[in-house]
Amino acid sequence: MTAMVECRSLCKSFGVRPLLDRVNVRLASGEICGLIGSAATGKSLLLKLLCGLQASDGGEIFIAGRRLDASSKEELQQSRKHIGMLFQNNALFDFMTVRDNVAFPLVRSGATSAEEIRERVHQTLRAVGLSGSEEKLPAELSGGMKKRVALARALVARPALLLFDEPTAGLDPVTTARIYELLGAEQARTRATMLLVSSDVDGLRRFVPRLLMLHAGRLRYDGPSDKIDSSEDEVVRQFVRGADEGPL
Amino acid sequence: MTPISLLHRAAPSLELLRHLLWRSGRGAFRLRATDFPRGEVWRQMHQIGNRSLLFVCVTLSFLGMVLVFQTCLQVNRITGDLSQVGAEFIKILVHEFGPSLCAMMLATRVGAGIAAELGSMVVTDQIDALAMNNVDPIDYLIVPRFVASMVMTGALTTVGVGCAVFAGALTAAYSFHVNPVVFVDPSHVRIGDLVTGFFKCAAYGAAIPLVSGFCGLSAQGGSAGVGRSTTRAVIASSFMVIVLDFVISGVAYFTLQSAP
Amino acid sequence: MISTLRDICREVGAAYLLLLHVGTLLLRGRFDRRELGRSLAAMGADSLPIVALTAFFTGGIMVIQAGIFVRRFGAYGLLGFGAGYATLREVGPLLIGLMFSGRVGANNAAELGTMTVTEQIDGLRALAIDPIAFLIVPRVLAMVIALFCLLLVGDAVALSGGALFGKWLLGVEFSSFFHSFADNLKLADLSVGLVKAAVFGLAIAISSCHFGSSVRGGAPGVGRAVNAAVVASALAIVLSDQLITVLFK
Repeated sequence: MTAMVECRSLCKSFGVRPLLDRVNVRLASGEICGLIGSAATGKSLLLKLLCGLQASDGGEIFIAGRRLDASSKEELQQSRKHIGMLFQNNALFDFMTVRDNVAFPLVRSGATSAEEIRERVHQTLRAVGLSGSEEKLPAELSGGMKKRVALARALVARPALLLFDEPTAGLDPVTTARIYELLGAEQARTRATMLLVSSDVDGLRRFVPRLLMLHAGRLRYDGPSDKIDSSEDEVVRQFVRGADEGPL
Repeated sequence: MTPISLLHRAAPSLELLRHLLWRSGRGAFRLRATDFPRGEVWRQMHQIGNRSLLFVCVTLSFLGMVLVFQTCLQVNRITGDLSQVGAEFIKILVHEFGPSLCAMMLATRVGAGIAAELGSMVVTDQIDALAMNNVDPIDYLIVPRFVASMVMTGALTTVGVGCAVFAGALTAAYSFHVNPVVFVDPSHVRIGDLVTGFFKCAAYGAAIPLVSGFCGLSAQGGSAGVGRSTTRAVIASSFMVIVLDFVISGVAYFTLQSAP
Repeated sequence: MISTLRDICREVGAAYLLLLHVGTLLLRGRFDRRELGRSLAAMGADSLPIVALTAFFTGGIMVIQAGIFVRRFGAYGLLGFGAGYATLREVGPLLIGLMFSGRVGANNAAELGTMTVTEQIDGLRALAIDPIAFLIVPRVLAMVIALFCLLLVGDAVALSGGALFGKWLLGVEFSSFFHSFADNLKLADLSVGLVKAAVFGLAIAISSCHFGSSVRGGAPGVGRAVNAAVVASALAIVLSDQLITVLFK
């Protein structure tokens, strides 16, 4: 199977502090993978590098076999059409209604008819449980509803690669469970590749079969999520158990 | 800090500025070819124009009263002939105070508004979300504001001048017993004054959205960052108005005003 | 229209109550003096460059405008008087006040707004510190003093700039500019401007503190508050300008 995402010795630093230091990641097509790590270790940064919102300092990124970081503007735009991104603070356009927000990726891709756009937006909003809120503005929604609108906007164009930055942050356990369920159903239907960044390690472990852990710019763990407890790396073990004593 | 590292840090800002100038200039002439939703220019014209109308009318009326009051006091002290005050007031209003004071007011209202809106879009990742959908933030956000501001600055100045003349005539009539018919006398306004006023409106209307859009798009760091960029937008666009006023007045003094 | 009117009334009323509160605390001497010193440095000294630049160009603009009349009537001896009168009484305080509102008022609203949305104000209350005595009174006092002093400097810079441009553009000698200025203007012309500066400082302070401390809704809320603060300051400046002009004729 071809790799959906492939990073080879990816480097990025701000000032003198290296955030990513020769990171190698490979995600097969249709794989679901979680990314964990302490605060400010470059998890969000890695997602932004993968969709070309930030430029890397060194290394190579391939999305569906196409080189992303050295490509021209048109090629980058072409690659982005296959990527859906959920931003950490939702990034809903606050001057647009919920309907226009969700329809935006379809309208911009220009390939679908107005009738079809309406139908897809309706379907997606129903899937995230937000039928009836189409005409509201993001400012009128609660935190969980905003997150679900943002999710709908990431899913609506059915991209082959989905990047989620903290899809469950600030949500109650019931909503969190619903969101994971929704992502699972979406994945079963579209076989999209998903990369999830989350600080909720326990919830993420139950959902994803494979986990990556970033620490001090290096990838410290890359393997099945049920084996992470017995990792040989002391840092990883301490982080996952939430122990007070250890190298962290 | 060495000059090299300063240049290095300024490079992204300079790049943004270059894009802003180039895209806005191109966008203003080729509206159809650029990339923003239909009706966006109208929406921005409403936002910039209609919603500043009351503010501009009130401030310009009061400034008109003050200017006439001061002038009449002074003229009373020297010659006592108030019949020319109205005509001269209208003349200076058209080529100087109308456009400049109106633009100072718009720099605070419109400049702060644009920077606050764009700044909070930057810090909540909305600009990145636009980029993910292959939308250029300058084409999509700045060009409509640029066009709307150019049109609306002129329109608001016209209305503002009207308000100032009306308020000035009232002040002259009540406080100094000048007949409004004598006061409202546009005969001193030359074509040169109109041209100067027009150029000032166009320059201010272009400068305010560019300067405040630049400040808004370069915001970083949460709500404190939005506050900082809004502040910078107000100060930079007000200062831009004063500098442009000085430059255009200077050029007009040597070219248009020296014509009889 | 009615709801807009109601909103305006509510904001004006709240700002007025804040003014009364600040006044009472000020008379009782209950405010943080270290914060006053810090505010004076941040608001006064740091605004000096932008105020001086504004004043310099204002002087230039006024000389050009006065020059149009002066050249028409050939009355080159009146240039210093005309430019000086307009600068001291009206245009100087107005433009410097508006710049101060942008530099200091907007900054203050942004700072207080950020403190409000990040719950720092509530944090002060939890420590039994009155946020008005601790944060707002020193800032109000600092803004009044700072704008008063900045106008003194600004007037001097504007007149020097005026003299410079008068010589450069119109060929009026420095001595003739300053004689025309000194012979025709009284101390009253300067002091009207200074009274204006103090009142503008108070208006800017109260409106920026009011809008800054009543922010709601995260980063967009802070942006909106700064916007509202500068608009309210500009309105307050032109209204009080008119009032003072009529009162001190």
